[in-house]
Amino acid sequence: MKEFLKKDGTRSLIASILCILGGIFVGFVVLLLLAIFTKDIPIGQAFQGLGIVLSGPFSSGRNAMFQLGNMLFNTTPLIFTGLSVAIAFKTGLFNIGAPGQYLMGAMAALIVSLSIPSSVVPPAIIWILALLAGALAGALWGAIPGMFKAFLNLNEVIVCIMSNWIAANVVSWVFADSKFINYAETKVNFIVKTETNNIATPTLGLDSLFSGGSVKSYVDISIFIAIFVAIVMYIIMNKTTFGYELQACGFNKNASKYAGMNEKRNIILSMAIAGALAASGAALWALNGHQDFKWETYLTLPADGFNGISAALLASNNPIGVIFSALFLKFINVGGSNLAANTAFNEYVSQLIIAMIVYFSGFARYIISVMKIKGVEKVR
Amino acid sequence: MDNAKTVLPKEDNDIVIELRDITKVFPGIIANDHINLQLCRGEIHALLGENGAGKSTLMSVLFGLYQPEEGEILKNGKVVKINDPNDANDLGIGMVHQHFKLVEVFTVLENIILGVETTKNGFLQMDDARKKVMELSENYGLNIDPDALVENITVGMQQRTEILKMLYHDNEILIFDEPTAVLTPQEIDELMAIMKGLAAEGKSILFISHKLNEIMEVADRCSVLRKGKYIGTVDIKNSSKEELSNMMVGRDVKFRVDKDEAKPKETILKISDMCVHDHIHNKDSVHNVSLEVRAGEIVCIAGIDGNGQSEFVYGLTGLEPIKSGKVELLVGDQMEDITHKSIRYRNTHGISHIPEDRHKHGLVLDYTLEQNIVLQRYFEPRFHNNGFINFGEVRSYSEGLIEQFDVRSGQGPITITRSMSGGNQQKAIIAREIDREHRLLIAVQPTRGLDVGAIEFIHKEIFRKRDEGAAVLLVSLELEEVMNLSDRILVMYEGEIVGELDPKKTNVQELGLYMAGAKRQGKETH
Repeated sequence: MKEFLKKDGTRSLIASILCILGGIFVGFVVLLLLAIFTKDIPIGQAFQGLGIVLSGPFSSGRNAMFQLGNMLFNTTPLIFTGLSVAIAFKTGLFNIGAPGQYLMGAMAALIVSLSIPSSVVPPAIIWILALLAGALAGALWGAIPGMFKAFLNLNEVIVCIMSNWIAANVVSWVFADSKFINYAETKVNFIVKTETNNIATPTLGLDSLFSGGSVKSYVDISIFIAIFVAIVMYIIMNKTTFGYELQACGFNKNASKYAGMNEKRNIILSMAIAGALAASGAALWALNGHQDFKWETYLTLPADGFNGISAALLASNNPIGVIFSALFLKFINVGGSNLAANTAFNEYVSQLIIAMIVYFSGFARYIISVMKIKGVEKVR
Repeated sequence: MDNAKTVLPKEDNDIVIELRDITKVFPGIIANDHINLQLCRGEIHALLGENGAGKSTLMSVLFGLYQPEEGEILKNGKVVKINDPNDANDLGIGMVHQHFKLVEVFTVLENIILGVETTKNGFLQMDDARKKVMELSENYGLNIDPDALVENITVGMQQRTEILKMLYHDNEILIFDEPTAVLTPQEIDELMAIMKGLAAEGKSILFISHKLNEIMEVADRCSVLRKGKYIGTVDIKNSSKEELSNMMVGRDVKFRVDKDEAKPKETILKISDMCVHDHIHNKDSVHNVSLEVRAGEIVCIAGIDGNGQSEFVYGLTGLEPIKSGKVELLVGDQMEDITHKSIRYRNTHGISHIPEDRHKHGLVLDYTLEQNIVLQRYFEPRFHNNGFINFGEVRSYSEGLIEQFDVRSGQGPITITRSMSGGNQQKAIIAREIDREHRLLIAVQPTRGLDVGAIEFIHKEIFRKRDEGAAVLLVSLELEEVMNLSDRILVMYEGEIVGELDPKKTNVQELGLYMAGAKRQGKETH
């Protein structure tokens, strides 16, 4: 048991759980204070509200399966952006450019999937091509800050932030007045759904399983792809010479150079992989077939890009952990929406509580370091 | 404790600080095992021990950085509790760390008053502080420039700034953690004088070191630790280097390793007219250096720090590009031009390199010991299957090297390198580089920060490599090491080779003249 507690993995897990509990507690205090000081909200609703948030999709009664399905679908991009940030972190880079890479991935996947007529090329081939195009676009977009870092030693954070807004404007510019805009349904703010070109990720009946009566949820096999990729990333980082090299460069550029590694190439590769991951999440979201992509992206950056940072932090940058942290964040998110729907608390309160939990996830590293010190004290 | 003896201070009321039965445990290692130490007023008390013997840990306990599991600390006979460095400071205990704790972008004066600034209505009152600092500086012969930025001053002056900081804080008990490790020989002499002056003024000094010469010169008494245990305390007047080293290592140590005559064979390394350009100062840091190193000989590049030795090694190993010149290495049975080859190519074609800066180049500090041991070999077929690391092989290989080179650490191969003592980090690098197949061994300051036992071992290893037919290029700032080890000495001054000397026919004085630029071969001195 003592040995088990000393393991790094165990410590990360305990830290994540403590963070979550801390966030929930503070969130609850907020609910309680609001209930006390707002005339219209009885105090009992604070407890009820906490229950709703913690039940996630299950607080919606007969809609639970439907919400669960959509939750699983929405988790896919978050796992990917979480992996993107976590892998970059592990190689010593802070990839805050995930939103931009995400947008580039969505754009490339949509263009490919909507441009190649499915009457000529089999949809499955188009689907694969579109996913690859998305990943490639993200890899290139991620490689740019990597190159600035490698060749000019410019801080990747600054370049990433700028590249986010450049991506947002590039995407809007490419789609503006293009044939991809959804005029048919008069949803001119959105891009045509890929299902109009018979492109949709297989669901294997999952959408019917997770449904609310006749209304199917969006869930498809992308969640399994996300889990598979997370496991592959774990293996690459921890078991291969490639991962060994990438992490060595992240920890100490000079020593890696001394050891004969191509440290510049490795920095660029790390960022390219991170970019490809974030973009793949976006591509899989777009290729679901039923999603409306809002092309005026220059106004806001996709939240999942930034939430990847929370997912990574909460998982202490462990790729396997990212699967669970992403699921948890989305779970709470659904709970938050239900809170607004079923109680007198408005949606801002639910966002606040989610923010609290996300905020506390940043303490994971701190808790681990405290545990290490305490662990040292205990060994006698 | 066969040869241990303990000298007690003459009178009890002399004792300023007493450590009683201090025990400090880290995972897998007992760093301090019931240590006793008594520090008298006005004495310089040396604390001697091998790398990882627990000296720094003990001082960190005294300074409040660590809490001991057992034991107590007494000041002037009263038990005190030191929870953090602030408590230590309140008790008059100051410490100069091995790596200085100065704010680089502040001036010397600002650094000295940091934490105890005098203010009036929220504004700094620098004039009084400046007066006090200058007085202290003059009294103790600490030559400082109060308005210079710390990042622009020499390491020696940074250290004097640290000393002034302690004095400004009215500290009575001064701890010096390996203060000479970073200094040039001249600066060491100055420091010794300063320490004697401080002791004469009634300050009590704890001086951590493993350099016996310095201890013999400056200390009054010396306490010895070995592998976390207290061995004894001796009076320096009645002791000798031999006795101290015996107490420290637990056996007799040879200060000079016997070596056979060198039998140089074929040329392994040939450098012609190498120039390395320094872009910051826009001059050549290495200028027209040509040399050859042959199999079975140790060629030493001697010189005062900062005369282009580091840049020369960077150019030779490929860490920095060279401006002009040619580097040739014997590959197979042909000399090959490796001037523009990659570092990986050089590493795998016969060059081993013990780098000057172990933290910057030598190690990935956040990796485990075993990961560092395969730093240049992880890609060899033996250590991976189709790109998947062969963990069993990595483990058994590193365990072998750890055993062979006596690398001490808390958890063996899975110890995070950052947590190891500096000397053992160095041993790990040396183990790695010596074990790799090589024809040319470049060793830059290989024994920096090591104790006499380890130095003896490494010198033996270097001789063994030479006798097995490796060419050894040694870069060292320690004259003693240069004289003991080398078969040929090349002196580098301001980026040029100014003389070639035979260690058997020269002496330290002559070497010193070349190093200082007062003498050179081939050209008239100006």
